[in-house]
Amino acid sequence: MTITEIGDALRGKKLSARELTEETLRRVAKANPRLNAFITVTEAEARARAAALDDDLARGIVRGPLHGVPIAHKDNIFTRGVRTTSGSKIFADFVPDRDAVIVSQLNDAGAIVFGKTGLHEFAYGITSSNPHYGAIRNPWDLERIPGGSSGGSAAAVAARLVPLATGTDTGGSIRIPASFCGVVGLKPTYERVSRRGVMPLGLTLDHAGLLAGTVRDVALGFSLIAKHASGYLPGAHADLRGMRIGVPENFFVERIAPEVMSSFRAAVQTAAALGAHVTEIRLPDPEALNVVGRIAQLSEVSALLARYLDRPGEFGPDVLVLVEQGRLIPATDYLNAQRVRRALARDFSKIWMNLDCLMTPATPITAPKIGEMSVAFSSVTEDVRTAATRLTRPFNVLGWPALAMPCGFSSASLPIGLQLVAPPQQEDTLLQAGAALEDAFGIAGRHPSL
Amino acid sequence: MTNWKALAAAAEPPVPEQLLPDVVPALEKLEAALRLLEGAIPLDTLLWSGPEGIGPEDEA
Repeated sequence: MTITEIGDALRGKKLSARELTEETLRRVAKANPRLNAFITVTEAEARARAAALDDDLARGIVRGPLHGVPIAHKDNIFTRGVRTTSGSKIFADFVPDRDAVIVSQLNDAGAIVFGKTGLHEFAYGITSSNPHYGAIRNPWDLERIPGGSSGGSAAAVAARLVPLATGTDTGGSIRIPASFCGVVGLKPTYERVSRRGVMPLGLTLDHAGLLAGTVRDVALGFSLIAKHASGYLPGAHADLRGMRIGVPENFFVERIAPEVMSSFRAAVQTAAALGAHVTEIRLPDPEALNVVGRIAQLSEVSALLARYLDRPGEFGPDVLVLVEQGRLIPATDYLNAQRVRRALARDFSKIWMNLDCLMTPATPITAPKIGEMSVAFSSVTEDVRTAATRLTRPFNVLGWPALAMPCGFSSASLPIGLQLVAPPQQEDTLLQAGAALEDAFGIAGRHPSL
Repeated sequence: MTNWKALAAAAEPPVPEQLLPDVVPALEKLEAALRLLEGAIPLDTLLWSGPEGIGPEDEA
């Protein structure tokens, strides 16, 4: 059920929050042993919250658009009184004494929190194969990764355990799992959504955002957490008439798996058929964005995590290597990377003189198998982490809003992701375009069978 | 170019030697790429300060 459908059922007295909570807990109990999407299930808290919300509704009080709606939070987002591990052994017993701002915002709107979702250790990776809490599995194929780092949130939404979950995105950590799991993920403009109470990773690259089953559900959630929210929600008949959409002719269409490329090309044709003015555009050097993004991320993460290197055995092997790399980067290189970043941002921002939106594949591949270190496609072999992040990281470096959404399925029935990108603060454009395309694709109702 | 192995040995605590084959090559590649990029920007380029921090002062 979508958020709107749940809201209608609750307010129409066809369903109570208590009943929905019991059904959700039953589904989580059945699915989580196979998916490992949740690190912590807050069963008692959810039941108490549902009872309170039913009592409110009986008195005519509606807390907000999420009144009674089940949600989950990524486990690097502070929840008062509920442990928040960041997927790490080091923070295994960390219990925050306050909620993150986005947790409070969604609580104030009436949401019921069902727990904390698993992630790649410290949100520093894309497999979500966590050495401390186990591998999270993709609901479309349990032998495959869900992507990451917000892998638990994406898996929980894809399995329809909750219609909405929070995530964080430093190099693609909302959009990559959205792409691999066939859900919608929004990385808003840098600092458009509060990061207060979100465990920091890349200090100038982190974004808090949302994952949901549909673009309209993401739009509703975004309207509740965005600073200076416009209140825009896509209507029943969103369209693309007059929207100027750019399709890169370089980088974003190179080294793409054939089935992904085929679905992407079909999505571009759909946009044109819906009335968009589609033009090919040659972008400045996106690989340069990835270079400065990686240097900034390595340095910033190590500034936060190197203090724990006196306990190297408590890091997973991949994260340990990254933390060691980051602490060796000289401050001069970090600062020059941030200067190059500014120069690149100036060059890239010129594309918006003639465009409203960019369309790219979200990831060049579909979900790899658990344990796969490299992927081979189109006569290219590439490291899984590099492949998964190279189309998403540029927009963390630029700070532009980006939406990942499903646009098709591979022959192996794995979701294929599309990425839409807009100028700073123009999330409404993404949500309008995303809703129109989602309606046209007609695949939002396709779900994995668990 | 930077002698990353020497830096790793001099760090406190030192980077464990067995990690060097995983640690060093990526740093060498990133450094080579950064040297090309930083050499191409104007001397008066400031630090990135957000997606809307690009203003008239950035115009050449």
